[in-house]
Amino acid sequence: MVALTERGLRDFDWQTAVLAILISFFGVWQIHNAVPSENYWSKQIFGIAVAFIAFLIVAFTDYRRLIDAAPLFYAFGLLLLFLVLTPLGVEINGQKAWVRLPLVGQFQPSEFVKIPTVLMLAKYFGSRKSSVLTLREALVGGAIFAGPLALIMLEPDAGQAITYFPILAAMFFLSGIKIRYVVIGTVLAAVMVPTAYIVGVKTGKIKRYQQERILAIIDPDRVDPRGYGYHTIQSVITVGKGGISGIKGDPETSQSVLKFLPEPQTDFIFAVTAENTGFIGCVSLLLAYALLLSRMIASARQASDRAGMLVIMSIVCGLAFQIFMNVGMALGFLPVIGVPLPLMSAGLSAILSTFIAIGFVVSVRMRRFVN
Amino acid sequence: MKIYDHVQNLSARVGAIQVIAFVLLTLLGARLYYLQVVNGEYYSDRAENQRIRMIPIPAPRGAIFDRKGRILVDSRPIYNVVISNDGLKHAAGADKVVDYSQGLRLEPQFVTERLSVLKKQNEFESLVLKENATIEDIAWVEAHSLELPELRVELQPQRHYPLGTTLAHVLGYVGEISPKQLESDTYKEKGFRPGDIIGKGGLEQYYDEFLRGRPGYKKVIVDSRGRVQSELETVSPQSGQDLVTTIDLDLQMTAEDQLAKSSTKRGVVIAMDPNNGEILAMASAPSFDPNIFVKGASTPEGRKQIAEYWKDETRPLLNRAIQGRYPPGSTWKIPESVGALQEGAITVAHSNILCGGGITIGNKLTRCMNNHGSPPLDTAITRSCDGYYYRLGLKMGIEGIIKMVETFGFDKRSGVDLPNEKVPQTPKTWMKYVLKHEGKWSDIRTVYASIGQDTVVVTPISMLRAVSSVGMRGKEYIPHFLKEFKPIAAVGEEGDPNYIAARAGFTFQHPEPTLIELQPAQWDLVLKGMWGVVNAGGTAGSIRIPGFDIAGKTGTAQVAEVGKDVGANKDHSWFVSFAPAYKPEMSVIALIENSGFGAANAGPVAKAMYESYLSRRDGQLPATQEVAAR
Repeated sequence: MVALTERGLRDFDWQTAVLAILISFFGVWQIHNAVPSENYWSKQIFGIAVAFIAFLIVAFTDYRRLIDAAPLFYAFGLLLLFLVLTPLGVEINGQKAWVRLPLVGQFQPSEFVKIPTVLMLAKYFGSRKSSVLTLREALVGGAIFAGPLALIMLEPDAGQAITYFPILAAMFFLSGIKIRYVVIGTVLAAVMVPTAYIVGVKTGKIKRYQQERILAIIDPDRVDPRGYGYHTIQSVITVGKGGISGIKGDPETSQSVLKFLPEPQTDFIFAVTAENTGFIGCVSLLLAYALLLSRMIASARQASDRAGMLVIMSIVCGLAFQIFMNVGMALGFLPVIGVPLPLMSAGLSAILSTFIAIGFVVSVRMRRFVN
Repeated sequence: MKIYDHVQNLSARVGAIQVIAFVLLTLLGARLYYLQVVNGEYYSDRAENQRIRMIPIPAPRGAIFDRKGRILVDSRPIYNVVISNDGLKHAAGADKVVDYSQGLRLEPQFVTERLSVLKKQNEFESLVLKENATIEDIAWVEAHSLELPELRVELQPQRHYPLGTTLAHVLGYVGEISPKQLESDTYKEKGFRPGDIIGKGGLEQYYDEFLRGRPGYKKVIVDSRGRVQSELETVSPQSGQDLVTTIDLDLQMTAEDQLAKSSTKRGVVIAMDPNNGEILAMASAPSFDPNIFVKGASTPEGRKQIAEYWKDETRPLLNRAIQGRYPPGSTWKIPESVGALQEGAITVAHSNILCGGGITIGNKLTRCMNNHGSPPLDTAITRSCDGYYYRLGLKMGIEGIIKMVETFGFDKRSGVDLPNEKVPQTPKTWMKYVLKHEGKWSDIRTVYASIGQDTVVVTPISMLRAVSSVGMRGKEYIPHFLKEFKPIAAVGEEGDPNYIAARAGFTFQHPEPTLIELQPAQWDLVLKGMWGVVNAGGTAGSIRIPGFDIAGKTGTAQVAEVGKDVGANKDHSWFVSFAPAYKPEMSVIALIENSGFGAANAGPVAKAMYESYLSRRDGQLPATQEVAAR
């Protein structure tokens, strides 16, 4: 860990830090709008404070030393994910995604384990020499990736599991996977997903409720406005209701306060934002995300080593993917999957892991001139 | 930047990721534009519609009183379990049926029916699921407010008929508007909705528009579970108008009592003020309990009882006074006598016609009960001489009888203010049919028609109306129950969007009589005959009330052929009358089905009515005997 030297302060990425803080406090405001009667928003401020400290610690620590220790973190991460499945895990709505530890309290390991997974993959792919991704490298990378993924699927938490894929995709893509494999993969996915869906429906492997979730996106009003389409419809109504500049007047009658909008402070925080700040607020938020991502990508380009670049880019891909999934769900064109909106959704685990991830980005950037 | 040497196109690949990320964000922006800028208002409306709910405040229906202000019908508050068409929570219908039927002790079949009615309603309206909720029901609803937020308990007025079967046919009953009625244009135009309570039968139906109040509502904000969060506005209901009827409850009780005591317990009694057509009593037996229809429509026992009413062969739901059609028998001779005088078939000076103990048409003898010689009109009425009327009918001809039918309005409804009144059937009705099937109107049909048989069937109300007009020397009033509708004050301030205008009071709208033209001496002759029926050795001498001269006419209407009038097919017994004979204050008609001779069965019923009337008019029966002046 480097001391807070003058040079350290000079090289510190103020822009990324300020953007992240701004977005997260914008989030606090929306959490308050979502459920004014509860103290989620004040808890979130506390979370941001803790997260910011963690962010500073990571940012001022040399990421290369952390990458060196990646196997340790990785093993620890797997242990945490394993603990979830033991009696220490907390079951909520048929999902065991949480674990309660003495002193630490209750948290969601799948949020944090992304970081060791990124570090482990970055360590492996950062040290390789070949210019084109080999099959062997792909298999080893896949194996590293498969560990946490399998444990998460056992919880089961498909929403979290999906957010892991962009990490691996970024690793492969930036490790020189041949473009033709990318093309073949994309085409195969485009063909296989609908085929698998149809076969799954025909053979009964895809359950009725799962079908409804998919159909709800295509035509939420027709599928079952009172059942699976309900969340989608209510979210779309909430977003649309915001109009250009958001609702004026009585917040007591907002969609979230009247409980029409489910999970307003977490999964559907974007709909709350849309209702309260309208098109102007939403576009501003998306622009802020775009700025943050650009800044991070710029940092990746300047990274002093390959591992650092991979860490940043996989974090970028993970964040971009989560933003797209979450907002797409709120806007009614992606299925309802419990993916939090980075920096916005209420939740200590999510805010903490996101700030730690951004801490790594800043740490890499601060050492761009170091060899 | 040296890392870029290791892998082909690394910079381009990073760039590609950046471009993809921006494209995705732009996609989100475009979708936002579509939802918020293009369709913002639409979604704003949708959000508003799902959070604002109208909770109706039912308006009390107007009460119904008798002429002395005694209550006949009112409404009493009861607790109902109400289900709101929540729009969100009825996806799992089958589970709910089980929940509701077990929790509220309802038939699953009934719950299913109610839910299907509910589905036809607009979203966020409500429907009564269980009426007359008990303490247990209310406790159950409260205890399950979390799982079943669509249920709530409301205090609502329910129609109550304290008299039970008494006056049931006149009052009618109320019930939920039927799906069939909802489909019809008349109800659609007036904006009726499923679950609305409307009058069914009787005065409740005829004057529904005035008895019904204008419901108010509470506009509230609800959350997604339908729980009220705050009230936006309350619009008070306007009660319906109170109806004061012409009914005299004391006379009504006497009438019901008399029917209950009669031999077959089936029949009609109507009492009317011939001076204006106000009906003082109208009883039809057997009767029904309207409370069963109001309270029982939702319970298995009540539904069974209602089904039994419909199946019952004695037809308790039929208002015999206006819907029963009976051969009038000899009572028919009164309007016929007037018709004959009017048309000049007989005159006051020369009204004698041969009785002959009967008449032979072709080779068939149609008998009179006696040989009355060659009596004048008044004697023929007093003694009820059939032979006289056989020949009088032939003298008038069937055209003359039809003219009489038109004079007295037997070819139309009486106009009484009750729904579903039947029109009598007379030779006028049958003429076309008989000519078509028999080629001509035969004399024997004319003979039968002249003593109120064969082609003649009338409603008791039409006969009473006709005979009352004779007592009034030609003034024929429309029988009616409406004495007065009380006014109702306006609700709210004028100019207010929710302002409901005051409703004015009013009385019966057709008070003027139609006139039947006859010379005073001619009236006297007919009245003398009717007076004699009771007071001068006539067919109903046994019911004479000294000092209160009844003028009347007996009738014994054949149901089966002569000589076979036994058992269930015995003759209908009629008595139609007014009193005092020369200045009538009340007219009464009594009909006892299948009981036999008119004077013996219907006569005493009429007498009881007059005695009941007199006991209240004077406090006691008059001691001195007044003999008719003329």
